Amino acid sequence: MSGISLRNIRKAYPGGPTVLHDVSMEFHPGEFIVIVGPSGCGKSTLLRLIAGLERPDAGEIEIAGIRANDLAPQDRDIAMIFQNYALYPHMSVRENIAFGLELRGMPKAERNRRAQEVARMLQLEPYLERKPGALSGGQRQRVAMGRAMARNTSTFLMDEPLSNLDNALRIAMRTEIKELHRQLGATIVYVTHDQTEALSLADRVAVMKDGHLQQFDRPDVIYDRPANRFVASFLGVPPINFVAAEKLPGWQGMQGLTAGLRPDILKLHAQRPARPSLEARLVLSEMTGSDLLLHCDSAAGRLTVTAPRREVTEQARQLWISYDLDRALFFDNDSGERVDLARDLRSISIVEE
Amino acid sequence: MKPENPIVAMLSLAAGLLFMWPVLYSVWMSLQTADAFYAGKLAFTLDNYERAITQFNFARYLLNSLIVSGLVTVLGITVATLAAFAFARFTFRGGDLLFGATVATLMIPSHISLIPNYLTLAKVGLLDTYAGLILPAISNGFAAFFLRQYIRGIPKALDEAAYMDGASPLTVLWRIIVPLSKPAIASMALYIFITEWNNYIWPLVAVGRQDLYTLQIGLARLYKINPGEGLVDWPLVMAASTITILPVLAGFLLVERHLVRGITMGAVK
Repeated sequence: MSGISLRNIRKAYPGGPTVLHDVSMEFHPGEFIVIVGPSGCGKSTLLRLIAGLERPDAGEIEIAGIRANDLAPQDRDIAMIFQNYALYPHMSVRENIAFGLELRGMPKAERNRRAQEVARMLQLEPYLERKPGALSGGQRQRVAMGRAMARNTSTFLMDEPLSNLDNALRIAMRTEIKELHRQLGATIVYVTHDQTEALSLADRVAVMKDGHLQQFDRPDVIYDRPANRFVASFLGVPPINFVAAEKLPGWQGMQGLTAGLRPDILKLHAQRPARPSLEARLVLSEMTGSDLLLHCDSAAGRLTVTAPRREVTEQARQLWISYDLDRALFFDNDSGERVDLARDLRSISIVEE
Repeated sequence: MKPENPIVAMLSLAAGLLFMWPVLYSVWMSLQTADAFYAGKLAFTLDNYERAITQFNFARYLLNSLIVSGLVTVLGITVATLAAFAFARFTFRGGDLLFGATVATLMIPSHISLIPNYLTLAKVGLLDTYAGLILPAISNGFAAFFLRQYIRGIPKALDEAAYMDGASPLTVLWRIIVPLSKPAIASMALYIFITEWNNYIWPLVAVGRQDLYTLQIGLARLYKINPGEGLVDWPLVMAASTITILPVLAGFLLVERHLVRGITMGAVK
């Protein structure tokens, strides 16, 4: 197992914009790190820098305590799983898995045994002699994992490995990857744009935007105490509601703030409740299973609320939405940074008209 | 393939015969004695082949042609593949310029380099040697260009995966790129082989010794050396021509499967 340390990494592609601005992170040995962000945020570039497929323009990369800036990919003791799997199309599954072992001089009998072992772990045994072209998407994904696992490296890099799979398979593979991490105990750096993957897999999540690291912390911290508006909006399904704090009825706290209200802290009422609430009109409802996702117009703007299906009747057009300000997040309107408000500053005087 | 339309099938057959006719006619002619042929009679014999091979040294020319074309093909395709891999996958100082120069060689008629090549070889003493026949032909701008385009179509992630697996650039070339480029390499190898096989002007200039003649030179000399007061011994010439085309035909049949795949490949992917 080896830790990875990135210090002040900067990267620009020739003739292009700067992709990474001064990114610094420290990954502990055995950690499952997820780097998440919208496309173009630099997350894949960061992974390629760790892999050695790209060189940073500035900054230091350290792997297992050794400066790795100038190490070739093959000297970094790292395996990588590519988004499109990058399986060698002219080799069988067995050869794909064993190729890295062959290049490292492992005798044939031994590498075949190892390939067999990995194939058994990933339920690929029946397909060992097939070429990748004759496999389904999920099987190819598994072969890509097998190829990485066969080499027994201390670090795995995964570049959106599940993005080409259908939903059911993605959820199943997500569990498998988590299980695999537990078994192997290796450091995993996993890149995705899918926030559900990020929150469910990671020991720690790095959120990136436009080449800047926004926040790097445990998933629960990122969810509960996002560093800024962007992080709050990027993580969480359904997405957080932003309303001007002043527009919340009775708001007497600081000016110039935006309140972030996650749908789960909003509560629907058919009658005006005793607590502070916004009057709202139901515009659209989406069924998500046991819950309904309700899009409502209010004086503070459009709000999305989740509610158990049985609590909402179709006829309910006129509603009241109450909110729990203790669990609301507040952001500075100018900087977008989250503001920690002392309790009394988020006070609301209930003015009943 | 099954002809769907009888008219199309007939037209195809007619076109096929039209193209085949000169070849069939020369084979037909080569199997007759000269006297009978000129007298308009039929008399079949293999004499012409025997004479071409024994009397006119065609076995030696055939060997020379096989050596020269074979080595030019092997060396040429090696050089072209290495160059194509470099052009397709690496950025290096002057790379674009070099590639531009490679493509520019396609626009220069080969005859322009005839005299400089001759002078160079004369200076290093390689005239009248196999090396003199082979060396000027092993750099082939078209093959390098064609293979580079093909390699660029192979996802770069495969190279990267191999590098992560522990491969060196040459291992990537040999284990990943070459196997995946087989159709293109086979097409180019055949192209180089045929071009060199048919090369007439350079062997004519570069060698004077008869034991280094290639088939094309030998064939041309048949016109001059065969007797008969202005009459050319056509059946003999045709027998020699048939000997000349057979290896090319064999080569084509050998790589035909790859060749067709190479040509259609770009359309599907």
